[in-house]
Amino acid sequence: MLKIFQRLWQVNWAEQWQYRANLIMYLLYGLVSPVVYLSVWRAVANSQNTVKGLTAADFAAYYLTLVIVDKLTQEITIHIFAYKVQDGTLSDDLLRPTHPLLTNGLMYNIAFKVLTLIALAPIWVVLFLAFRPDFSHVTAANLSLATLAVLGGFAINFLLGAIITCIAFWTTRVYSISEFIYAFALLLGGTFVPLDLLPVAVQNVARFLPFQLFIYFPIQLILGRLTPDQIRMDFILQAVWFGLALLAFGWIWRAGLKRYSAVGA
Amino acid sequence: MKHVFKLIAAYLKVNLQQAAAYRADTTFSIVMNLFWLVWELISLQVIFSNTSSLSGWGLGELIALLGVWRLANMFMYSIVWPNTERFNTSIRDGSFDYNLLQPVNSQLLVSISRVVVWRVWEIVLAAILIGVGVSMSRSIATFSNLVSFLVLALSGMAVLYSLWIVLIAFTFWFVKFDNNVTILDALMSAGRFPATVYPPWLRIIVTFVIPIAIATTVPLQGLRGDLAWWQVLVFLGIGVAALFISSRIWRAGIRKYSSASS
Repeated sequence: MLKIFQRLWQVNWAEQWQYRANLIMYLLYGLVSPVVYLSVWRAVANSQNTVKGLTAADFAAYYLTLVIVDKLTQEITIHIFAYKVQDGTLSDDLLRPTHPLLTNGLMYNIAFKVLTLIALAPIWVVLFLAFRPDFSHVTAANLSLATLAVLGGFAINFLLGAIITCIAFWTTRVYSISEFIYAFALLLGGTFVPLDLLPVAVQNVARFLPFQLFIYFPIQLILGRLTPDQIRMDFILQAVWFGLALLAFGWIWRAGLKRYSAVGA
Repeated sequence: MKHVFKLIAAYLKVNLQQAAAYRADTTFSIVMNLFWLVWELISLQVIFSNTSSLSGWGLGELIALLGVWRLANMFMYSIVWPNTERFNTSIRDGSFDYNLLQPVNSQLLVSISRVVVWRVWEIVLAAILIGVGVSMSRSIATFSNLVSFLVLALSGMAVLYSLWIVLIAFTFWFVKFDNNVTILDALMSAGRFPATVYPPWLRIIVTFVIPIAIATTVPLQGLRGDLAWWQVLVFLGIGVAALFISSRIWRAGIRKYSSASS
């Protein structure tokens, strides 16, 4: 099994290395929004000193951590897989003795992640110098806990992405459905704004949804802004959502394959 | 001139028929579009629940800015993207030849042959946003402010359009340059907020390098009455100059074109 992953890693890495120019384009594209949001909140914080206790340097630390955490936990399964269901090329994958999403799909995501992170590093240094974030509360203990949180967050996000991708077995509008859910993730996961700045009622809902578990939770953990109770609670939530997502994925994958008719192949 | 309008009308008709053939898709896109509008309004609400002004701009002014930004965005998604996609393919497989053989300006053909027609309704939506935003803000829109707003919005669109023409004309020199329009699209989201909130380096990028701010922030500054009449004239001049220069670059590009198929 390990050998399979190793080989798939080599294949996916080699494939994506060919598209490195596109990848940098994609990376820069994704960096515009965080920089815009950071600029907006920095302007607000500068004009009134703090926003709910957060200074301009705190916002800089939040969004600069966000761009890393977001790359670590992101997944792009729908872009490499949904079209295969629609044009029938999934049949080739199904002939192989491995699970197409949990092996090849996973490795594709990880190779993409590593390449983007390498490309991100120099840009991140520039952003660091431009925005001067305050990282004074980051500790080694928090970072090691955050490693776990990032792993858990990626696992949940990957499974959610795989579940949404499987909707392609039923409808061609899977991209719109994904866009719809993505909009909620932007607002309720912490990409647009640290969750503490949302209205309290919304915060209480967002806390229990999976989105914050792969954005907000790891960021706040790294920055040392969570109490031990909150950390424990979020790890429990991660375990629960991981279990639920795994069950749901198992079901939708089997049900989807039954519907799959290999159109066009 | 008359046959230019006839040509545009004919293309719009074809595109309208196309949209009508995929009614469900069109309806769905409109619903998604409205959904994003709600998202954008909520995000503004979140910002203004934490502050009363963003670099001197109030909630009403940002709603109006959102309207202007959506107009620029509409231009991207109804004209720029569909035509770029078509243009890139036509350069790659050489079918651009047929474009040159037509007895009309090739730049015009490249700009209008594919239009996502349903997005036209966003003009109404933008007008509503701008109207509501202006009535919510303290600044009173006088007649002269409205005129300078319209002039600035038009010249801003002209600048965006020209930039796009230059970007796709570069394909004649560098064939592997078909990713370029992405740059324009990526920086688009920076136009949702007044350029004054950005740090100087980013402000320079969105004003001079990829001038999204000229199509969004500047018209709204005109509406607020922040700009003197001569400044409005300067921006109008920039718009006209951009159109002229881009058509020159386009023609130079055409001369460079060496059909892929023959």
